[in-house]
Order: sequence, then structure tokens, then C-alpha cells
Amino acid sequence: MTSLFHTLNISRQDILSHMLDLDVTSNNLANVNTAGYKTNRSNFQELLDQQIKEGTKLDHTQILTMQGTLTSSTSSLDWAIQGDGFFSVTLPDGTIGYTRDGQFVVDTDRTLVTASGYPVVWDGEIAEGMTNVSVTADGTVTAVDADGATVEIGTIELTRFPNPGGLASNGDNIFLESDASGAAQAGAPGSENFGTLSGYKVEQSNISLAQELTHLMTLQRALSMTLRAFQQTDTMITQAINLRKA
Amino acid sequence: MIKGLYSAVSAMMMNATRQQTVSHNISNMQTPGFKQILTTAKGFMQTQDVYTTGNLNANQINYLGTLGLGTQVSEEFIDYEQGALQNTENPLDLALEGNGFFTVKTPDGNRYTRDGRFLRDADNNLVTVDGFQVLDDAGQPIQLAEGDVSVSSEGVISVNGTTGATLGIGVFTDPEAELQHTEGNLFTGPTASTSDATPRVSQGYLESSNANPSQLMTQLVEVARSYEAAQKLVQNQDELLGKTISSLGRIG
Repeated sequence: MTSLFHTLNISRQDILSHMLDLDVTSNNLANVNTAGYKTNRSNFQELLDQQIKEGTKLDHTQILTMQGTLTSSTSSLDWAIQGDGFFSVTLPDGTIGYTRDGQFVVDTDRTLVTASGYPVVWDGEIAEGMTNVSVTADGTVTAVDADGATVEIGTIELTRFPNPGGLASNGDNIFLESDASGAAQAGAPGSENFGTLSGYKVEQSNISLAQELTHLMTLQRALSMTLRAFQQTDTMITQAINLRKA
Repeated sequence: MIKGLYSAVSAMMMNATRQQTVSHNISNMQTPGFKQILTTAKGFMQTQDVYTTGNLNANQINYLGTLGLGTQVSEEFIDYEQGALQNTENPLDLALEGNGFFTVKTPDGNRYTRDGRFLRDADNNLVTVDGFQVLDDAGQPIQLAEGDVSVSSEGVISVNGTTGATLGIGVFTDPEAELQHTEGNLFTGPTASTSDATPRVSQGYLESSNANPSQLMTQLVEVARSYEAAQKLVQNQDELLGKTISSLGRIG
């Protein structure tokens, strides 16, 4: 025996899932110009248990780690990765975070930091008076010293994960290792599967504007259909209640 | 007259069940690989309708023919029609074109699905979004080497150019008869043949849900109107019954 109240619940669950998806999609659209941003996707799954239909649920969000386009920039500190790796940064609480956003700056303490101010993990030091800190494809960091000579000042490694799609989001375009992502593996840029580095490049957001906007449209239509079904179920319940009113 | 009352109520109940199915399909318009559930109605049991004269001594029964006692939901079936392919550019999103199913391993046994949202798990297994292992043509979990994955249209997986496992794509000649829908987006059935698989695998694509918005809207209206009509019938029958009780047999 099917209950109309159960049907109401199917639509209710669906409305909630769509609201969450709306958040995910809005966040994607807001980051269309964020360097190194990776698209988040809502994965819906059918809910069916022992033939009892329960609609859908928002299973989880997945990070789509496709390569973003590299564009040229004028800063030697704009580093971009072509391939799987991530830059490592030290978060304020000491944990290591991972990012694809390589728009770095050298702060007043001559520390290499991200645009949000998190220190970048690398092996080397920037001496006083050094300018034009840059990187080569294999991760060698160079700078121009006070005498105008280009010197090697250190190396930077990249980190990769078996399942980067399962990384946890930490906000600020920074990801954290999770059970789903698997353990972080460090390696030199240019070695197999880690990707190569290039200076004077910025990795664009991998958002496909057309896809996200189309998704937004279908999302809104699906939501209004679900609302319609919800209202109709409600009307049917009212009609059942009013049976004896004739 | 009482029979009529129950017939009308049976139509309301049948439409309540249909409403649930339609709502479920609407909810899954955005679930990749979802196959819509269709509900059919059939007549409830039939009875002999008889007419007896008021004269008890006549002992005469006139058979008027058969009378249906309403309606009920007949069996539900799954519409296995191909859904549209949607480009995602994600290398582990796979879509099937043509008859066939991916084989996945769940704790309750092997299941079949058209949902090709796959991931590489922390141990480099190819898994579904629900974490079930995707099986190859020998029924073994698929272990991916590290690197860029490419999948041929025949379902052969290669990583960094080195050929690896082949996806186990199960083919059923008559999925409607052979498969059962047990869990979300998963089907269970006899062991499928994987050798004569012919579907085309498209990498970077997902098969959209085959629940069709315009069809669903039509079904919604159909259910609403037929529920309303049945409700009016119940009220009519009730009114008639009320009249019978209050007017018939009144003397003078």
C-alpha cells in the first residue's frame, strides 16, 4: 500500500538535494576566474531499497581535476602545473594543504607565499636583494642576485594523489588529503605522472561556463517540476481528506 | 452501489501509486544512467452482475453479464531506452551506447548498471560513485596503473598507453525479462554474457537519465485528473447511498 505522505517525502528529499546542488553550481560559477580552481560536481544517486522508491539523494560532491588552460603572465612568480601534481602549502595550524593556484608572492620576510599568504613548501631560501624568483620545468628555483647573476636557490616538489577527485575542500582554493584521495606522494616535477612546472604561467579555472549555465537551467526546471509534483501530492491528500464532504 | 464505491476508491489508490512512481522518476531526471520506471494499470477482479426481481417467490435470477470491480496497479517495468549522452570531459566518466551494462561488485553480489560515473579509489581500483568495484571481462576488479587513463570504444582500458583490463560489459537479450531493479541504479539478474558485447563505450561522456520531462508532466496531469475524477465518483456514490437510505422505504 503506497502512502501519499511517502510520496511527499520523495519530493521533499529531491528539493533539498537540488538546493544543495544549486550551492555547488553557484560556487563553480563564482570561481570562473579563480586561478587553479577545479569544478565541483554534485553526484545524485537513485534511492531505492527493496523496491521501495525513495527518490534521489545527493550522494557527494566530486572534484573534477581536468587540466585548466595555461595562460601567460608577466610575473616570474606565477607558476603553473601541466599534469597531475599539486603545490604544497603550510596552513596556519601546521597541516599541509594542496593547491593548483601558483600565483605566488615573496612577502616581507622573503618567504614564498600564496596569494592568500600561506607559505609554500619548497627546499631553499631567498637571500636579501634577490629578485626575479622563477622556476624551471623540473622544479629548480632560480633567482637573480644582487650582482645581476642568475643563481639556483633551491628546488620545489609536487604532490599527487591516487584519487585527486576525493580530496577534501578547505576553502581558499586549498585541498586537504582525505581517506578517499589516498596518501600524498611527493615527486620532482617532470617525473612520471607529476606534471611539469612553468613560470610566467597561470592555470585558469577549469569551469566550463556553458556547461555550468546549462546545468543551472536544467536544475531550475527540475526543481520547479519537483515542486509541482509536491503540490499535486498535497492536493491529492486534501481530496482524500475531503471525500466525505459532499 | 457499494461495489461502485469500492471501484472508485480502487482508482484513487491506483493513482496514488502512480503518483509515487512519477515523483520518483522526476527526482531522478538528473541521475546519470537512470532508467525510468513505468506503471501500468489493469482491471481488478470481475464479478457476475445479477438482477433479481422483487418477487421472492419467483426465485428467478437474471444474469446481466460481468462487472469489473475497479482497477489496480499491474506490474511495473523499467524502460531501458537509451538516454542521451552528455559531454563531461572527465576521463573516468564512461557512457554506453547500445544494449549492455557495466558489471559492478556489491557486498550482495554482482550487479549491472548503466551509470558510468567512475572514480579511482585510494587503492587505484576503478569504482563507482557508491564505491563498488567495477569488474573486467573476467569478473575481476580493475586495478589502474598510475597515469592518464584512456578507454577505447570497445571498453579496453589503457594507462599511459599501456593496455590493461577490458571492461566487463554484460549483455542481456531481453533486459526487461531478465533483470530486476533492486537498489539505486543497480540491476540484478543472471550472469550475463560478456563475450558478445557490442555496445560502444564513450569516454568523457555520461548517459543522462532517460526520464523525459514532457512525458512526466503529462503523466502528472493524467494522475491528477484521474484521481480527482475518482474522488468525485466516490462522493457521488456516497450521495446516492445517502439518498437510498433516507428516501427509500419512507412511507407517505
